[in-house]
Formats: sequence, C-alpha cells, structure tokens
Amino acid sequence: MDQDAITVQNVSKQFRLYHEKRDSIFEAATSFFQKKQHYEILHALDDVSFNVKHGEIFGIIGSNGAGKTTLLRIISKIYGPDSGSVNVQGTIIPVLALGLGFHPELTAVTNIYQSSVILGFNKNEISKRVDDIIKFAELEKFADTKVKNFSAGMQMRLAFSTSVLVDPDILLLDEVFAVGDVSFQKKCYDTIMDFKKRGKAIIYVSHDMTAVKSFCDTVMYLDKGKVGMIGKPKETVNAYIESLNKQDQKH
Amino acid sequence: MTTIREEMWKFKGILFNFAVSDLKIRYKNSVLGIIWSLVEPLLMLGVLFFVFSTMFKFEIENFPIYLLLGIICYNFFKNGTTFALNSLTNRSSLMTQIYFPRAIPGLSSGVTAAIMLLLELVVLGIFMVALEYTPPITILVLPLILALEFLLVLGMALPLSVLNVKFKDTEFIWMVVVHAGFFLTPIFYQFDMLPDYVQSVLQFSPVVQVVTMAHHVVLYGILPSVNSVLYAVGSTSIIVIIGYLIFRRYQVRIVEEI
Repeated sequence: MDQDAITVQNVSKQFRLYHEKRDSIFEAATSFFQKKQHYEILHALDDVSFNVKHGEIFGIIGSNGAGKTTLLRIISKIYGPDSGSVNVQGTIIPVLALGLGFHPELTAVTNIYQSSVILGFNKNEISKRVDDIIKFAELEKFADTKVKNFSAGMQMRLAFSTSVLVDPDILLLDEVFAVGDVSFQKKCYDTIMDFKKRGKAIIYVSHDMTAVKSFCDTVMYLDKGKVGMIGKPKETVNAYIESLNKQDQKH
Repeated sequence: MTTIREEMWKFKGILFNFAVSDLKIRYKNSVLGIIWSLVEPLLMLGVLFFVFSTMFKFEIENFPIYLLLGIICYNFFKNGTTFALNSLTNRSSLMTQIYFPRAIPGLSSGVTAAIMLLLELVVLGIFMVALEYTPPITILVLPLILALEFLLVLGMALPLSVLNVKFKDTEFIWMVVVHAGFFLTPIFYQFDMLPDYVQSVLQFSPVVQVVTMAHHVVLYGILPSVNSVLYAVGSTSIIVIIGYLIFRRYQVRIVEEI
C-alpha cells in the first residue's frame, strides 16, 4: 500500500454567516428585490493540504473556530469542499465530540445497530459484536437504557466502543478524551496504539497539548482556516503556543 | 459492479432501519403502541359515516367500505408526506456526525407510511368480513394502484424533506394542502357528483385518480379506465421528476443548514 490513507489537497470551505437568517419563502421573495447582502462569507478552511500515512497518528490543533471539526466533516463526506479534493483509502469512522449521532429516544443497543448499519454493516455482523461493544464501553447495566439518560461520558464511551469494534481503516477522533474517566482514557490509548500497529490511520483533534505531544507522529496547526504549520509534534505545539502568546501581547 | 450492489444493499439497510426506528420512536411510551395508528382512520370513518349517512343521506352502496378505503388511501399519502417534512431535522445530530445519502430520511418516511398502510389494509379486510362483503376479482389490481401511490409518496417526500429545512413555511403550506386535499378527493362522495368543470380540474390530481381507481376495483368490479391510468401515471411521473430535481438542487448544502 503505497498510497496514503488520507490525501487532502487544497481544500477550501466557506460558510455563509447569515446575520438575519432568511427562513421563510416570503422573506426570500422580498429580499430578492433588495440588493442588500444578508450574509458575510466565513472562510472556515482556506487552501488546506496534508497527507496521513497508514499507521500514522496525525494530530490537529488550533483555537476554537480554526476549522478543525469542519475539516473532519469534510474528510468524512458530511460537508462537501468548495474547492480542492479529499481522497480516502478504506472505511472511515468519525468520532466527533458528541457520540455517533445517537438518537436520544433509542436504547444503547438499538443505537449501536443504527450507527453500524449506516457505517455499512448488516444485521448478522452487528449481532455478533453488540455484546463486545457494550462490554468494552462498560455499559452492561445500561444496554437497554435510552441514550437520553446517559451522561456525556457514557455516550462518548458508547460511541468510541462502537467505532473501534467495527474495525475501520481510518479513525477520526475529535476531543474524545475530554469526557472519559482515567481508566477509560487508558483503554482508549491502548486501543489507539493497537490500531496504529495494525497500520490504520488516525486523526486526533485535541486541546490537550501533553497528549498531542506524547502520541502523535505528526501535528498540524490550523490558524483561522489556514495551515499554520505541519511538522514534529513538539515544534508545532510550540509554534502554536507562541502564536497564542503573540496574540495576547497585542491585546 | 460489486461496489454498486454493495452500495444499494447498504442503502436498503439504512432505509429500513430508519423506517422501523421511526415507528418505534413514534409509539414508544404509549400503552396501545402501534394500534394508535389505526385509531385515527377509524375515528374519521365513524364521524364521516355518521355525518353523511344520517344527515346528508348519501346513497353510496357499501358506504362504510367506500369510506374506509378512501380514508386509507388518503392517509397513506398524508402520512408519507407529512412524516417527510421533519425527517431531516429529526436526524440532525446523525446527519452532522456520519455520512449517509441525504435521500434516505425522506424516502424512509414513505416506507414508514407504507408499513402503516399495510396495517390499515388488515383492518379493511376485517371490516369486509364483518359486513359480509365479498369483493370482486378486480381487487387483485389494488396492489398495483397502491404501488403507484407509493411512487407518488416517495416523489413528494424527497423534495419536502429538503424544502422544509430550507424554508420553514413548507410545513405550514403543506398542512393546508393536505387538509384541503382531503375534501377535494372523492373519499366521502363520488367523483361523478362534482360539477363538470371541477372534475376537469381535479382529474389532474394523482391522489384523486388513485382513490377513484381503488373504489372501482374494490367495490364495482370495474378495471381502471385507460384515461384514469394515463392521468395517474402521467401526473405521478411529472411529480417524481420535478421532486427529484428540487431535491438534487438543495441536497448539497443541506447538512450545513440544518
């Protein structure tokens, strides 16, 4: 496998920031005659390019609103880029901050089925793994509890377990450790290292600089949608912190 | 080729998973569960039967069955399209977390409505037995008519699902259309009772044609006329094509708008 697991080339994404959102047909019709612009363009991502190899843990850091989550959403096809291209080799699973889009009114087990079906598994395959997923998440007592009654940590555990046990080729992790307890963090860490050994690619988004420095192979620093730097973890983290200090001095 | 087949397989899996979970969520925490889906059409039947057989003295043969069949056909259309309105917003958290084809929530609303239709058809069967009514052999054509209606429901559900995200008015407008449609469809009266000029307009409504054809095959032993079939298939095809074009235009940025 010579090809990189993820190739992102010159990706840009703009959002329309509506100041007064036009929600109704009437407003749309009236504003058609007014030349006034109701939105400004927000450059969420501006000409971002990078590669992630198989067996690499790629960290992404940056301040809030720098475009980290938007980037993950573009990689996992939820948003389409305005320009540029994304090439992904293999199955991909996003684990974004708040679970796998679990439905609050459905139980843990039903949600596992729903998410795995969307990720491309059939019922028999899932049935074999449901028990393992629940066990890994340490949620045996809550298998038939509705997800709306779960704490943030429990939801994250369920999401992480589901995505790990369906065994994807690429894992996208967005702030997943922020809510887990210490023992589960250890378990996640071990699993991620195991994934790495088996040649899977992982993108890890975090604000925890110690964690980023300790287990990423390469780190990218995003600055307001632009690539600030791509390089060794230590140097990139330092560059990021430096830029933050500079900003503080300006104020 | 295998990948296309796999994609279709996956698509189908998600579609049915959504359709079933929508039903589960809808009737969760209710004692009667899915039976509730039958209460509404039966209540409508009771009220309409009372009003039109005692107050207006309509003389339509086998009036209870005539009414129930019309209500069931119309309900299928109403349920499928109204479920579709909020199908995307109800799944907003899922849409922003995992990628899946944007057509699925809208289409699955149609499937949910189809499951409810099957249940209601069972009730219709029970009514026929209880009233000792033997339908003519032409009833075998009914599944084809309902299949055409299913296509119509899917063709409407798709654009409604994205339009309601884009313009919140869609829901209110559509509810008015659905209410007006109930009275403009020959459910508690016969199409022939309408003045000619009204008939010439309403014949373009695929729902009117579907309900009329259903009445013909279940109650009168008459096969649908070529005219009816042409109007029904024609208007349904136009709706499906326009619906798909609207959907395609709006689906690209739809997740960002949710």
